[in-house]
Amino acid sequence: MSIVTVQLGQCGNQIGFEVFDALLSDSHSSQGLCCKRENEAYQASCKERFFSEEENGVPIARAVLVDMEPKVISQTLSKAAQSGRWKYGQHACFCQKQGSGNNWAYGYSVHGPRHEESIMNLIRKEVEKCDSFSGFFIIMSMAGGTGSGIGAFVTQNLQDQYSNSLKMNQIIWPYGTGEVIVQNYNSILTLSHLYRSSDALLVHENDAVHKICAKLMNIKQISFSDINQVLAHQLGSVFQPTYSAESSFHYRRNPLGDLMEHLVPHPEFKMLSIRNVPHMSENSLAYSTFTWAGLLKHLRQMLISNAKMEEGIDWHVRPSLSGPSSLGKMSLNKDLHFNTSIANLVILRGKDVQSADVEGFKDPALYTSWLEPVNAFNVWKTQRAFSKYEKSAVLVSNSQFLVKPLDMIVGKAWNMFAS
Amino acid sequence: TCALWQLLFRVLSPLPAGNALASIALEVQARLVKSALCSQGYPRLALAQLPEDGSQGSRELLLALSWLLARGPVPEQMLAQTRVPLGDEMTVCQCEALASLGPPAPHMEAEGPVDVRHVQWLMGKLRFRWRQLVSSQQEQCALLSKIHLYTRGCHCDQNLGHLSVTEAEMLRDPEGGQKLLRTLEHESRRLEAVLAWRRAEPVFWQWMDTVLGTCAPEAPAAASQPTFLPWVPECGDGELELVVRELQTLEEELREAVERRRVAWEAKARGCGRGPEWSAARRAFRETVEKELGALQRCWEQDSGPAPAHGPHRLVRREDGAAGDRDLQAAELIRTLRSQEACLEAVLRQLQGQCRQELARLAGALPGLIWIPPPGR
Repeated sequence: MSIVTVQLGQCGNQIGFEVFDALLSDSHSSQGLCCKRENEAYQASCKERFFSEEENGVPIARAVLVDMEPKVISQTLSKAAQSGRWKYGQHACFCQKQGSGNNWAYGYSVHGPRHEESIMNLIRKEVEKCDSFSGFFIIMSMAGGTGSGIGAFVTQNLQDQYSNSLKMNQIIWPYGTGEVIVQNYNSILTLSHLYRSSDALLVHENDAVHKICAKLMNIKQISFSDINQVLAHQLGSVFQPTYSAESSFHYRRNPLGDLMEHLVPHPEFKMLSIRNVPHMSENSLAYSTFTWAGLLKHLRQMLISNAKMEEGIDWHVRPSLSGPSSLGKMSLNKDLHFNTSIANLVILRGKDVQSADVEGFKDPALYTSWLEPVNAFNVWKTQRAFSKYEKSAVLVSNSQFLVKPLDMIVGKAWNMFAS
Repeated sequence: TCALWQLLFRVLSPLPAGNALASIALEVQARLVKSALCSQGYPRLALAQLPEDGSQGSRELLLALSWLLARGPVPEQMLAQTRVPLGDEMTVCQCEALASLGPPAPHMEAEGPVDVRHVQWLMGKLRFRWRQLVSSQQEQCALLSKIHLYTRGCHCDQNLGHLSVTEAEMLRDPEGGQKLLRTLEHESRRLEAVLAWRRAEPVFWQWMDTVLGTCAPEAPAAASQPTFLPWVPECGDGELELVVRELQTLEEELREAVERRRVAWEAKARGCGRGPEWSAARRAFRETVEKELGALQRCWEQDSGPAPAHGPHRLVRREDGAAGDRDLQAAELIRTLRSQEACLEAVLRQLQGQCRQELARLAGALPGLIWIPPPGR
């Protein structure tokens, strides 16, 4: 089933480009470690989900590009066309000449309603191209004016007009020391509005991804392009095809729906975060080998110790071994910064994936009292390797990862408001 | 006797699956037969007292079978359950959906205190499944529409004009077509069996009379148990005529009053203005009014009016809009369904309002409690 992506603002459009590029290059990769037939099925599934076909065979991304300035969109369009392997639809973008000045209200209350019809028309055309339509990705930043304000407005419209379709917002969490003065206001306004109209908020923290680029990838001068590529890699490892639960012969038809059903059915807990292992530069990759046991051990520790990446994990944090006394457990966990989860989804890709043991994630100590591991934890597997990594694992988690960052933003916004 | 229990079970069971039934134990089948007959109002107590191992009671079972046969067209109903559809079909009425719900599940007490967050979680999962179901149905409709469009002119039956999915599949896959043919032949044979039964039926009833004659009369309490008696309206012809005439005059008067009001309003509205906001507002008003009218109409028609057509209907796409007598038009159907929807939505809003009031009352009863309602939609 197909997903239509709405790319909003500078952030959304740049990231969107990297995502489509990563998805397509992975699907064409020759290092899939699987037979030809399987590779073809993988390719077909990926293509049907994210691209539509044109007569001359060049895949067209199922996307709508929206920005209030023309510069970023035209750059994005030409980068895609230059790749030669895919492109955006000719009439799939909407831009203006004015910009939003990082003003959330300008995006939400002025630009949004003014251009509502044009934007929704573009989206409708894209949806109509889909034979079977699953839902929307909305890629936007929280801190600016266009992405955040218009993003909130568009998501609300999608809720009204496509109430049965799924909506996942890919939200870019700004740097703690970001340059936009009102970024905390923008963020809070965005989150509060999205909480009512979106089904899932998949959060990508700039700080975390920046550290991955610096420490794991050893990039000296980190550009937005590097950051976006890491992000695209993470998203790709979640949404590329995986086997369905019933059989290893069919790829899952609706990963977006399955993911949402596993992780965000509760209306008050919609925020998700991503962690993945391993992540390194291509040079290092050539000299590394991995075992599932090692990867999963690291991933689990990243989860419970609230680590953003594989380096610098705090191994002292452990699930409490005391009995069912919840009060005692809570205070102990607070001291050790133990991250409790509501639900987790682990996706494994690569060689010998059937032998991977995920029992560590089924420990009841990791989860809340009202949802047992059998309901809270799910694992998806596929033999086909992702993007040159012989083995890779990604964790999508509905847990307390974002509590501290959220508290920080709310605190700063209050301070600014009260001053 | 065992065979009779199994036959009764097959007749009374709502599931058409053939093989699954064979694996159910005789005692279970017998128990289900007893409870199904009881819930349908079967009057003879002797059946309920029969042993469930199939050792005796063939006469009572025969009486039960003939009771069922007398109440409704059982062989035809069973044929309908297992018919092979050649066209793309959908049902209009809700009968099948309601029947497949079965008897209400017994009240199960939870083992301990239930965390409401877990219930909310489960509710959310249900909602997602529901939405995916709707998406899948939309997908199915889009594909059906494509197939019907592309195969225009391919069908030998001019009335239909295009192929259904099954028919297109037959062309694509000849082996599957052979299987379909065999299934149709089975169905044909069953149809002939039913026809043979109908021809020989009078003999059966003559015989059953004699069987009934040999039975001991049942206790008076059971015999006087009210079963399903047809309801006959009490009023005579003359009164009905009077009422009808009064209603007609009332309708005339109302129509005139409505017309006067409408003219006055339009004159007033014409001066109100143009512009996109106004037309959007007008559209919104019109939709709300249509919805409310539909709801009213539906509630009014619930006790009278023609019942919607039962059973499955074949989907046929036609450009010219011509329809036979027994055909249903999609536009008509959509209107009916929309008015039903409006009625149900009204009921839902009312119930939600009641819930909200109850919650507010409960919250108000606890001093010092701050009540934060969930973000509303």
